Amino acid sequence: MMLMLAFTSACNSTGSKENGTAENNTTPGVTEQGPADPFGKYEQTITLRYGKEVDPTDKSLPAGDTPENNQYSRYVKDNLNIDTKVTWQAATGTNYEQKVNLAISSNDLPDALVVKDTQLRAMVKAGQLEDLTDAFNRYASPAMKSYMEKTNGVSAEAVTFDGKMYAIPSIQVHSDGVHQMWVRKDWLDKLGLEPPKTIEELENVAKAFVEQDPDGNGQNDTIGIAGQQNGGRLYANFLESTNNTYGLDPIFGAYKAYPGYWLKDDSGNPVYGSILPETKEALAKLREMYANGLIDKELGIRKSASEPVVNGKAGIFFAPWWMGYGPLPDAIKNDPKANWQAYLLPLDAEGQFNAHMGAPSTVFVVVRKGYEHPEAIIKMLNLLIRDESKFDISVPVGHYPLRVPMSYMDESEYSAKALQEVLAGSKQSEDFTDPGYKLLAADIQNVKKVKKEPYDNMDIQYWDPQADLGVWSRIYSLLVGSSSLQQDYNKVYSLLYSQTRTMESRWSNLKKLEDETFLKIIMGAAPLDTFDTFVSDWKKQGGDKIIEEVKEYVK
Amino acid sequence: MRNRTFIKHYYIMLLPGFVWLLLISIIPMFGIAIAFQDFNPGQGIWKSPWIGLENFEYMFSLNDTKTIFFNTVNIAVMKIGGNLIVPLIFAIMLNELRLMVIKRWVQTIVYLPHFLSWVILSGILLDVFSYTGPVNGLLHMLGIEPVLFFARADLFPFIVVGSDVWKEFGFNTIIYLAALTGISPSLYEAASIDGATRLRRIWHVTLPGLRTTIVLLAVLSLGNVLNAGFDQIFNMYNPLLYSTGDIIDTWVYREGLLNMQYGLATAVGLLKSVVSFVLIIISYLLASKFANYRIF
Repeated sequence: MMLMLAFTSACNSTGSKENGTAENNTTPGVTEQGPADPFGKYEQTITLRYGKEVDPTDKSLPAGDTPENNQYSRYVKDNLNIDTKVTWQAATGTNYEQKVNLAISSNDLPDALVVKDTQLRAMVKAGQLEDLTDAFNRYASPAMKSYMEKTNGVSAEAVTFDGKMYAIPSIQVHSDGVHQMWVRKDWLDKLGLEPPKTIEELENVAKAFVEQDPDGNGQNDTIGIAGQQNGGRLYANFLESTNNTYGLDPIFGAYKAYPGYWLKDDSGNPVYGSILPETKEALAKLREMYANGLIDKELGIRKSASEPVVNGKAGIFFAPWWMGYGPLPDAIKNDPKANWQAYLLPLDAEGQFNAHMGAPSTVFVVVRKGYEHPEAIIKMLNLLIRDESKFDISVPVGHYPLRVPMSYMDESEYSAKALQEVLAGSKQSEDFTDPGYKLLAADIQNVKKVKKEPYDNMDIQYWDPQADLGVWSRIYSLLVGSSSLQQDYNKVYSLLYSQTRTMESRWSNLKKLEDETFLKIIMGAAPLDTFDTFVSDWKKQGGDKIIEEVKEYVK
Repeated sequence: MRNRTFIKHYYIMLLPGFVWLLLISIIPMFGIAIAFQDFNPGQGIWKSPWIGLENFEYMFSLNDTKTIFFNTVNIAVMKIGGNLIVPLIFAIMLNELRLMVIKRWVQTIVYLPHFLSWVILSGILLDVFSYTGPVNGLLHMLGIEPVLFFARADLFPFIVVGSDVWKEFGFNTIIYLAALTGISPSLYEAASIDGATRLRRIWHVTLPGLRTTIVLLAVLSLGNVLNAGFDQIFNMYNPLLYSTGDIIDTWVYREGLLNMQYGLATAVGLLKSVVSFVLIIISYLLASKFANYRIF
């Protein structure tokens, strides 16, 4: 309780500051008088139409429930009296993005949407969005405000244009941006190998995985390092900085190369990571590894990158902490012995793990200009934050209308550490009182359902996924995926995580050039020195101008 | 003289087509204004600022433009060639079959792929030509190193054209078969009485009988030259194949819809429309000259 009060007062100070800039704004929705209640139930049912992202492989909804009408939408209706209607729905990922783009370009918007940064900017520029400054100040719950505080203003800046707040940002755990090495430890054990610490060791392990038949089926059909699928990313970039599953980011990191990121050079000037010599060096190694058959031959061509992981054909892949949510549940269904473990590896020449860090906010909830109740989405998110731990997550929380992830940025490492301490018996659940770690209480309550003794051994045989696969997904992700993040590693941030003016028109062309060249170099379709041509073309075709703009931006 | 009600029927039958044309093809034409604007969806076409030919200038400064025009024409011309010749040969071969039962069966089976969408077919093709797929299995048996087909920009146009011809030849055969029924059997009888062999009969009776159909189809497909097949390529390509596989439509889709470069994408689309328009006019002139085909 004391903590809550502390947060409230901390937030009030910024709240009033923001009020100052938004004083003259009379948002049509905020006309009620008196103090605003972040969880206040509407007296009369209001309707909120939105576009929804649906995972087509998700079969979790019970019979009779729909993406529009399910436990979450009913919860919103019961608690806030908001009737959520789905205007249109599209499959997760590119399909949804395209649908949003279409809605933007045809100016045919539902009341609210979840969008990404470039879309948010386009919509602000097009004047399609409702100003949320007032609604946020009056209705955001202390928890929501404290999450935003913790990003040191980065999240607020991402949604503020000319002093007005045009969206509610997601606040994601920063471990979403750290791509770790996931390895089949049972394969390592079988072949008498250790988790590879250097690039050289990585090559040896991958070679052993390819040649020594680790799955024991007598056929030469295993992949060393799995790669990204068609349309995927070789590495995360400043615009899409998190959750790049199956990318090759840590290998670049081992060469101190951060392609796709904006960095500072020795003299303090901004440079673009993709055109630096370190990137060429990393590409040269990747090219060699590909030619030696250590990386998936069908890199960038496969329809689904998770397929070899699920089928037990791949031994290594790179991804963030949450793999317990997917693809690992399917992988252990096919092979209960698939002992996937996560490490912050490989290391660079000095023995350090280098990770590029993601932006704290990558998705945003926006409200159409002219919608009568802009505060409705804030109330819905307040409710989600407050009650998420109570939900039965056998139906994924993605079905919560207009959900964006919101938490402290260190939530997953903090929770992992807490769970370890509880398992070790050194702490009890009462020792963790900050309600901002909203899922932790439930995690502590559930952990022993799925984790068997010994509690300090994370190998798959000491787990009981069948007891509750939903709980297992989360706990395994935390204890295996996030635990490794407690050790020291080098955090590299991009100078900016959104587009400058020239990028709006030129970036797609430069990005295409980059994707095409790098993939060709790695897969041997173009010589390594194409990289130099790429660098000069990149500069000529707008890159130089963009560097100037970034310089202006970071000044 | 025809009576009036008879003509009225014709007009009524014309109406749905006319409405469709107006809604789907004529009205959206105003959208080309976007090509000359810094288009802002919030302001719409009426209020977005005009920027003259800036989008066109940028378009011509891009290396991509040349590549995508070349790829489009290259793939489309190969497709037109394949889709004319293969069904023709196949129709003639079917026509020579004397067992009607087999002929019907073959005909039914070969036109089935026409009804599958590219979304499904491309998935199948990606599997068939994958590194561990049956095609590479076959190559392996022949002692040839496996080929990563979808990483080879040099092979991609042939995969695209080959699969398109394979998908459509059965269906296109129907047109030729229909034309073949129009050839009088007495011509064949006369030819055999004169001692013509099968090949001679095909050369002197069948082919001349099909001539107008061939010319007509060839000329009409000219208007389609810049449609190299969005569905198909979009579902199969990846960045490795951009250099030979990226066509105008896929490029416009990426720029316009994914990257929200509305003006630029519209400018390229407009250029494509202009070229297509010229080609359609030429094709109709040729059609009326060589095949005596006129709409009005």
